[in-house]
Amino acid sequence: MQTQISHDPRLAVEIAGIRFNNPVMGASGTFGYGLEFAELIDLNRLGGFSTKGLSARPLSGNAPPRIVETHGGMLNAIGLQNVGARAFVDNKLPLLRRFDTVVIANVFGYSDEDYVEALRILNDGEGIAAYELNISCPNVKEGGSVIGNSPVAAARLTEKAKLASSRPLIVKLSPNVTDVALVARAIAEAGADSLSLINTIVGTSIDINTRRPRLSYGTGGLSGPAIRPIAVRMVQEVASAVDLPLIGIGGIASASDALEFIIAGATAIQIGTANYYDPTITIKVIDGISDYCDQHQVENITELSGSLERLRG
Amino acid sequence: MLVLSFERHIEVRAGQFAMLRAAGSFEPLLRRALAVYRQMDPSRLSFLYQVLGRGTESLARCASGSKIEALLPLGNSWPVDNSTSAASRAGIAQTDRAIVVVGGIGSASLLMLCEQLARQQCEAHVLFGARNVATAGGCGLEDFRALRLPLEITTDDGSLGEQGFVTKPLERLLSTPDFSQAVVYACGPWVMMNRVADIAARSSVSCLVSLEAPMGCGFGVCVGCVVAVRTSGPAGYESYKRVCIDGPIFSAENIDWNVNPNSCS
Repeated sequence: MQTQISHDPRLAVEIAGIRFNNPVMGASGTFGYGLEFAELIDLNRLGGFSTKGLSARPLSGNAPPRIVETHGGMLNAIGLQNVGARAFVDNKLPLLRRFDTVVIANVFGYSDEDYVEALRILNDGEGIAAYELNISCPNVKEGGSVIGNSPVAAARLTEKAKLASSRPLIVKLSPNVTDVALVARAIAEAGADSLSLINTIVGTSIDINTRRPRLSYGTGGLSGPAIRPIAVRMVQEVASAVDLPLIGIGGIASASDALEFIIAGATAIQIGTANYYDPTITIKVIDGISDYCDQHQVENITELSGSLERLRG
Repeated sequence: MLVLSFERHIEVRAGQFAMLRAAGSFEPLLRRALAVYRQMDPSRLSFLYQVLGRGTESLARCASGSKIEALLPLGNSWPVDNSTSAASRAGIAQTDRAIVVVGGIGSASLLMLCEQLARQQCEAHVLFGARNVATAGGCGLEDFRALRLPLEITTDDGSLGEQGFVTKPLERLLSTPDFSQAVVYACGPWVMMNRVADIAARSSVSCLVSLEAPMGCGFGVCVGCVVAVRTSGPAGYESYKRVCIDGPIFSAENIDWNVNPNSCS
């Protein structure tokens, strides 16, 4: 399909050889398979998006209740309900090819072998630009953050995934660690092409009347504006520790939020929870970044990446 | 009651809902799912709701004339339109007899259905259950009365109509031969709908329910608002359905009533 979009050339970025028309993407788990947004926004305007986590086989996810709202955010324990990598390749991907946007397949497994199997299935799919390895989901008992919280396990999986993958590999980091830079370095040395961060932060909420957790899984991942300062700090730490392009994620709900991540060291950003209460938020953020470039005479957004002024002290 | 005026015509089917939030507010974060109560004219809709938490509180605080962020119409609708055989598509036997079971603020999803049944001159019987006379009024009893369909009222404390749960007149009605082929439509608290589903199943009549679950987005992407559905095989991908786009209206027999999506058991 011919698209008539004129992108702001100042916003183009590149990650692992992939060109994005702008640095704004939909974050995995909040953007479905992209198609759900096709009636709400013009997908061609997006830099890209990351799919709901795909596993080698379909997953049914956790029992409800799966979400609970908190101040400035929400907890979720979806448990990676998804159609499976094969159904994505066969049924969703053909419909996505008519859009001119970068499709990143987010990949999940319970074991290293599961991840590799999902990657092999996805390698068949035409129209996927890169993989985002989800080693940081806090809502499953195996895989996910069990791997992402250990530098050794994370590096081992990254190596195997890199071998199995026909496409650039982005690894999504867990914030539920003492030293995020340590894990980031291990994953970078194992061959990742890019890192995205942060995934959700483990939390819980209790119903004081029943004295039970509000989520059936017991705990969930906290997302939304409440986590943004933590995410920006972690991007800054990882930017100082590794020489890889970073994708900043965590509570972004405006252009200024996005710019904080970019100044802290991210090349691009993903928007998650804000899509729920404003499905057009990605477009507003893209336009807002263009406005910022006008006001601050920014010729290319890449100038801003990692431009944080250090305080003397 | 919230009345929204839109810049353009909005076509809503009975049982559909909207995601609403006061414009420009930051807290609470998520929009709230409210059933469309009534289509007042092509560009005006009303919503009947109870103030239960931060979201409905913030909507209730909105001054007249203020702006609301809205996404609608969402979800499926009550299958009553015989002409398009929506009922048969939903696996529901077509019938000219209906029983509408209203449980408290579940009324919000049912008024448009009753309007439609009244228009189609379907023999519809309304059973209206509420905690007491005051909540019955707050749940729109007068609007249901105005439709002049046969109506029975129950209240928990007996302050209006028959004392007890709304399932009492339902059992009575279903024991009469007139209603042996009826379709039961219900919306209300989970426990009530569970009971209604049991009673309908025992009487071998079709039963449709409109469900509620905590919603993140309302359009299918967050996969937060799921209900457990009965599956014949081992638990698989189809074990959970999203209330927002697979529902909110489901055939009661497909629901696993042991798993309440609104609280941990």
